[in-house]
Amino acid sequence: MAPFDVTYIFLFIPKLLSTIGVTFVIVGGAIVIGVIVGVIVALPRLYHVPVVKRISQVYVSFFRGTPILIQLFLIYYGLPELVQGLGINLSKVPVLYFVVFTYGLNNAAFFSETIRASVTAVDRGQVEAGYSIGMTGWQSLRRIVLPQALGIAVPVAANLVIALLKDTSLAFSLGVMELTGKAQSLGTITQHFIEAYVALAVIYLGVSIALEKLFGVWERRLLRYDLANHRLRDALLWRRASFRRGGDAIGMGKEEMSA
Amino acid sequence: MIRLSQISKSFGEVQVLKGIDLTVKTGEVVAILGPSGSGKTTLLRCVNYLERPDDGVITIGDFSVRCREVGKRDIHQLRQKSAMVFQHYNLFKHKTALENVMEGLVVVRKTPVDDAKKRSIEFLKKVGLGDKLDSYPSQLSGGQQQRVGIARALALNPEIILFDEPTSALDPELVGEVLEVIREIAKEGITMLIVTHEMGFAKEIANHVLFMDGGNVVEEGSPDDIFNNPKEERTRQFLQRLSREVSTHSSINLVATGDENHG
Amino acid sequence: MTIDLGFMWTAFIQLLSAVPVTLLITGVSVVCGFLIGAVIALIRMNRVPILHPIAVSYVTFIRGTPMLVHLLLIYYGLPMLIDAVAKEVGSGFRAASIPMIDFVFLAFSITSSAYMAEVIRSGLLAVDRGQLEAAHSVGMTTMQAMYRIVLPQAFAASLPNLANNVIGMLHGSTLAFTVSVVEIMAKAQIVASTNWKFLESYLAAAVIFWGLTVLIEKATGLLEARVNLYNRGGVA
Repeated sequence: MAPFDVTYIFLFIPKLLSTIGVTFVIVGGAIVIGVIVGVIVALPRLYHVPVVKRISQVYVSFFRGTPILIQLFLIYYGLPELVQGLGINLSKVPVLYFVVFTYGLNNAAFFSETIRASVTAVDRGQVEAGYSIGMTGWQSLRRIVLPQALGIAVPVAANLVIALLKDTSLAFSLGVMELTGKAQSLGTITQHFIEAYVALAVIYLGVSIALEKLFGVWERRLLRYDLANHRLRDALLWRRASFRRGGDAIGMGKEEMSA
Repeated sequence: MIRLSQISKSFGEVQVLKGIDLTVKTGEVVAILGPSGSGKTTLLRCVNYLERPDDGVITIGDFSVRCREVGKRDIHQLRQKSAMVFQHYNLFKHKTALENVMEGLVVVRKTPVDDAKKRSIEFLKKVGLGDKLDSYPSQLSGGQQQRVGIARALALNPEIILFDEPTSALDPELVGEVLEVIREIAKEGITMLIVTHEMGFAKEIANHVLFMDGGNVVEEGSPDDIFNNPKEERTRQFLQRLSREVSTHSSINLVATGDENHG
Repeated sequence: MTIDLGFMWTAFIQLLSAVPVTLLITGVSVVCGFLIGAVIALIRMNRVPILHPIAVSYVTFIRGTPMLVHLLLIYYGLPMLIDAVAKEVGSGFRAASIPMIDFVFLAFSITSSAYMAEVIRSGLLAVDRGQLEAAHSVGMTTMQAMYRIVLPQAFAASLPNLANNVIGMLHGSTLAFTVSVVEIMAKAQIVASTNWKFLESYLAAAVIFWGLTVLIEKATGLLEARVNLYNRGGVA
């Protein structure tokens, strides 16, 4: 390994930034898939549809209960094997598609929990008030429940997206040239590994902080009606404590309300 | 005019309403009294169809619903004829006082936004909140929130306004301002059905009083009949207990509400 | 659809041999992380001069960067540092003699510590200040009050987050495969490529992790019920 040289860090940063687009594609694609699949997975549990509800539970339990790294390998190597028998050939599909798909499915599990928890966290009295002034079920869902649920969900979603960003560093293990993959190859070529990883850390840190700030602005906009509310402020504090992505902040709120 | 006939409702095995009949004439104020668990709140919620009665007929104005064969559209139409003021206010948390009042007008009644706004401001002024139009519920006191709740109901100009213990969640010093508003609108001849624990208030504004217990109407009559000459033993006991509680002041009330929250 | 269930069972049995390594990595990083995290939390809550801003930056940095990057930085950076120091003091010690897994322990303890610090801090903040005052009012010392009143409540309040972090570290331990420590993930890769049975091997690995995760969740659930019974009304 070559001796440590600070100038390499500055040299590497722009080189790494040239691959940040790939990282953003994974994050963005996973959010889109995650939200769509997440809603589909959340619905049977919100409306207590028998059987389907169980399937949703197993889906969420599996994707939250296994490491994302294993999910990546399982889907990249396993899915083509699995569908081969059905006469579908996935061997020509670029690896990036598998990666986006896997992160999407993984995030769907977390999103669905967030959606479910935030919708149930909206006070029942809010819907009743909607009905009492003559709203239909759909009207009170759209105008009363969903806006409030969004306010509760966004702080948690912020956590999910930042965790997702950090998780995309694992895509290199399948050979995807995103930030981490690029850092590794720069390290190998120049033998300046540490400088490459310091530059990598700086970029992740910058993007994480930027995302946190952005979501913070959105949160304050959405929750402007309730910033005086201590429960929500506590929830914001709580969510910082969770390493694993989850709806604990909301879970706390729910317990308080039922007590 | 509203008429309930033979309204019954069970939660699982427990029958909470055992065939209730009730008529409220236009412009009349009817108060329902009774111990907790007597079914009075459930009855009120049935009128707004927040609870589905198992059986009976609900008539509000010229619209009638048979509870056994009711459809979604009937429920929707029936709800538009009444409005509810909740014990815990239930203001839409993410909307300002003004938006809370406008919501029903714009979304349900399809009133043009400008008219809805004008009308809403008028009603908020009426309940003494002309200076709180842009405040969110979290920025208002309980008494102020409940007054917005009343304005929200009034603005829809319903055939009847249903009050579900409108002051029982309030701190004692805030009860007065809410009762004052209700008193004012009662004078204007708005039809009201009120579930309340405020005996003195019921005595003062009601034209007709019902006493409920165990899912039945035990006794009904003019305030004078019920409060001064109750015929039934159960009514007498209830009134005695209530007046004792009032005279020993709010400490007991606090204990009582604390228990309810745990239950 | 072709899943060779027979092989999956074989893979499962083979993978079990790597479970202790995974649990060891998880255990060490959770315990060390908790201890370091407690120190950081105390520094932050007591606003210790000089150390306080350092603690804040530390937590921000760790939380803002992937766990993998922590591992790579330690794995590549620490040996260089150690060798340089050894050379300076004239010692014959070389970083190459340090077992690989020690770097994993250190890196993951660092990762875990930043999150643990936040768990501990928010747990303590969740306890109403009145509790401490009440303890003082009945004559307890601050130590007694912390030990008997505040900590039990803080623990109960932190339990869900704590469990979440343990599961996070369990799942994160798979990253150790990148520095050739043979835990479950690395073992699954070996089993997969030697038998050319990828689906079955990774599925078997997934099942093991799934089982361990459910186990942790169930255990937490039981513990929570107990703690909350004992602490009834203290938390909510």
